[in-house]
Amino acid sequence: MLHERLIDALGADAVKTAPEDLAVYAFDAYTTGRLPAAVVLPRSTQEVSAAVRIARDCGEPIVPRGAGTGLCGGAVPTEGGVVISFARMNRVLAFDPARRRARVQPGLINLDLSRHVAASGLFYAPDPSSQKISTIGGNVATNAGGPHCLSYGTTVNHVLGLEVVDERGDVFHTDVDELGYDLTAALVGSEGTLGIVTAAWVRLMRVPEAVRVWLATFPDVESASDAVSAIVAAGIVPTALEMMDRIAAQAVEAAFHAGYPTDCGAVLLIENAGFEDDMNACESALARIARERGATSWRTARTQAERDALWAGRKGAAGAMGRISPNYYLQDVCVRRSTLPKALHAVDEIARTYGITVANVFHAGDGNLHPMLCYDKRDRTQVQAVIESGNEILRAAIALGGTVSGEHGIGFEKREAMTEVYSTADLATMARVRDVFDPARALNPEKIFPSGAACPEVKPQRP
Amino acid sequence: MTIDELSASLADAHRDRTPVTIVGGDTLRGMGRPPLADAIPLSVRGLDAIVEDAPADLTIAVQGGVTLRALAQTLARHGTQVPFDAPLPGEATVGGTLAAGWLGPRRHLYGRPRDVAIGSTIVLADGTVARAGGMVVKNVSGYDMSRLYIGSFGTLGVLARINLKTIAAPERTRLFAIRLPEHTRARAFAVLASLRVVPAAAWWVQGYKAQIDGDDGAEGRMLVFLECSDAVLEGATRELRSALGRAGVPETRVIDTGTRESFERAIDAYVANVGERSITYRMHGFVDEAEARALGAIALARQFELRADTIVDAMNGDVILRVSDLDARALGAKIEMFDDALHDLAPSAFVIAGAHPSRALLQVWGAAPAALERMRALKARFDPHGILNPGRFVGGL
Ligand SMILES: C[C@@H](O)C(=O)O
Repeated sequence: MLHERLIDALGADAVKTAPEDLAVYAFDAYTTGRLPAAVVLPRSTQEVSAAVRIARDCGEPIVPRGAGTGLCGGAVPTEGGVVISFARMNRVLAFDPARRRARVQPGLINLDLSRHVAASGLFYAPDPSSQKISTIGGNVATNAGGPHCLSYGTTVNHVLGLEVVDERGDVFHTDVDELGYDLTAALVGSEGTLGIVTAAWVRLMRVPEAVRVWLATFPDVESASDAVSAIVAAGIVPTALEMMDRIAAQAVEAAFHAGYPTDCGAVLLIENAGFEDDMNACESALARIARERGATSWRTARTQAERDALWAGRKGAAGAMGRISPNYYLQDVCVRRSTLPKALHAVDEIARTYGITVANVFHAGDGNLHPMLCYDKRDRTQVQAVIESGNEILRAAIALGGTVSGEHGIGFEKREAMTEVYSTADLATMARVRDVFDPARALNPEKIFPSGAACPEVKPQRP
Repeated sequence: MTIDELSASLADAHRDRTPVTIVGGDTLRGMGRPPLADAIPLSVRGLDAIVEDAPADLTIAVQGGVTLRALAQTLARHGTQVPFDAPLPGEATVGGTLAAGWLGPRRHLYGRPRDVAIGSTIVLADGTVARAGGMVVKNVSGYDMSRLYIGSFGTLGVLARINLKTIAAPERTRLFAIRLPEHTRARAFAVLASLRVVPAAAWWVQGYKAQIDGDDGAEGRMLVFLECSDAVLEGATRELRSALGRAGVPETRVIDTGTRESFERAIDAYVANVGERSITYRMHGFVDEAEARALGAIALARQFELRADTIVDAMNGDVILRVSDLDARALGAKIEMFDDALHDLAPSAFVIAGAHPSRALLQVWGAAPAALERMRALKARFDPHGILNPGRFVGGL
């Protein structure tokens, strides 16, 4: 019934039902969920609406999906349902260079947007490392970050309005410039649980006149984090401030020959974009703090090619880990920037306790850690050690006043951890929003909200 | 006052179904529909603690009743700021400014107030105290409740605490006072948008003589604020001067003393009343249409023989229009018809100031938002008895 109706509405080429075709939709870049009942690839907002109506009629939940680059199961079905893939809704619908905005479909690849507008001297600022493949829709769902969000802000700061299909298949629009409640902000980062974004107006930024990229090396991760905390405490917020430890740098160099030193304990990749006239003062302030905190070298990337190579290496870092470990678990936590040295120390202790190799590549300036825990999935003790140490890292971050996800989201993988940062009242307040937008819990169920008896997900309070 | 006391008061009101009016510094009292006659005022001024000043994190947590001045003074000690840019900072509260959704002139550069909010504590209508976000600068853990409360005009809950990201204060600020003959205006606007060093604020002002610096001549004036480093300032000054010169602007005067005060006075002007004989509207829209939007409104005021004072934010496109008449009676005789005509021209125009009794009869919020039904459902879920600022917000939210 479900299959026939979907095919009737969207056409056979837009509906996948064969188990072998569905299999890939049970995964994201890390987690495994269940097979969906069907996958649809709509070409328009109307087709998304139609798919939602049919799924609801048939009692199937809906799971929206971009490129599937998530790491915590946000785009993965947990109980069958209809996956809506945005692979065919990947166009720039409108581009207004004078007003520096664009209207895009959710399946548009992040980097393709910046490429599309580059000739006008503009770019789209949020730049998750996955930007070559991840989509604007997925980025909106997770309020994606990226290295340059340090100064430009995360996705929510760049979304001007949304077109959304609701749980009944009806379309509504949000606009940050309208009065009333900021539904745009509520939807960004809601991981597909409040509505399905079918178009977004985004803000574009002017390409800065000058860009400098520097590398500072440190004997160890602690001194590098200390330097980061000191930079922030001095009120300096460069455009990007990333850290890589020795293991990560080695993996990146093996894969990319990007130009990172591999003989130091940690390296900071610092970018400042802005006015040429400011660059020297900025460099001397940063270099002075770095040296005071124990930097062993300071180097400027001289050419565009050099800068591009360093960024390609940084953004490919997670992928490069495959070179040094058969499997790895990438944790995403965020702590106060002044506590970075403590947080990294805690990660190191936890890894030692569990006998796990850990590599760190992360958005240091934001306090957004990405410890990568190496393991071999064929070894059950290693798997168990990774699960436990991953949880301990979460707890350590929370103990330092941090949070359980800086930019990757909660998905189903981290939903139980929500109770460690938020009280029942806090979660019940969020659930009130869910009650309004998705009273039946048909949109991406079992995501974000913890399970369990006290949980608002299980006992929805109807308005 | 404590947050627990606030919670207890609201829980009582919720139980008894007593409408309450949330009051901060009362500086934006000219916004929104007037409170119901039987609504009990609930002041949050007592929630005035700086909860946690964390300069090493470039963050700060304050209670909702902290004034913008107190916040700015605390941050100034660390050389940082939060660019809210709301009127009357000595009295305006952080909670009230955020609840009212105030948008300042530097937002094109530093973001909207909602973009620096990283966490909050809200007290809901039923007394529930709920936190969201935290003190970290990146956080994707559930819905962004803090941003949902910002701009909700106190109709979803009362902002008891808010956590903010701070930014470094600029090394230098410079004010340019510019005579702006009519034939140079369009080109001057265009020039501003393409400057290398984008001004922190730029206003085309007509009138507001008592509040805003500079000499109109008969044609209006422009005020431009630069905020930048020492290294950039002189180059940016030369560029601005020569660009405006090419646009035909006769005179660009630099004012380096009292710049911050001039800037604040200009923002105070947004809500400055002329006794009881003025009403002030705010109209948003694209920058490239701002001049036309302002001219249309001025022409309309003239048709009604109303005096029009205007501030046009050349960086964000906001138009502030204050219409006034010789006395309250004269204004009262025309203002409703003017209000209709203005909304034909600019459907989303909304009222931000005015002590005239007829204010209550105007379309103070302009057009309802497209997603009003969903907003109503949200309101019903958060405040089922409708006790928080009932009927005061757009669309009766
Ligand atoms: C893993 C991804 O978030 C990165 O920072 O590379």
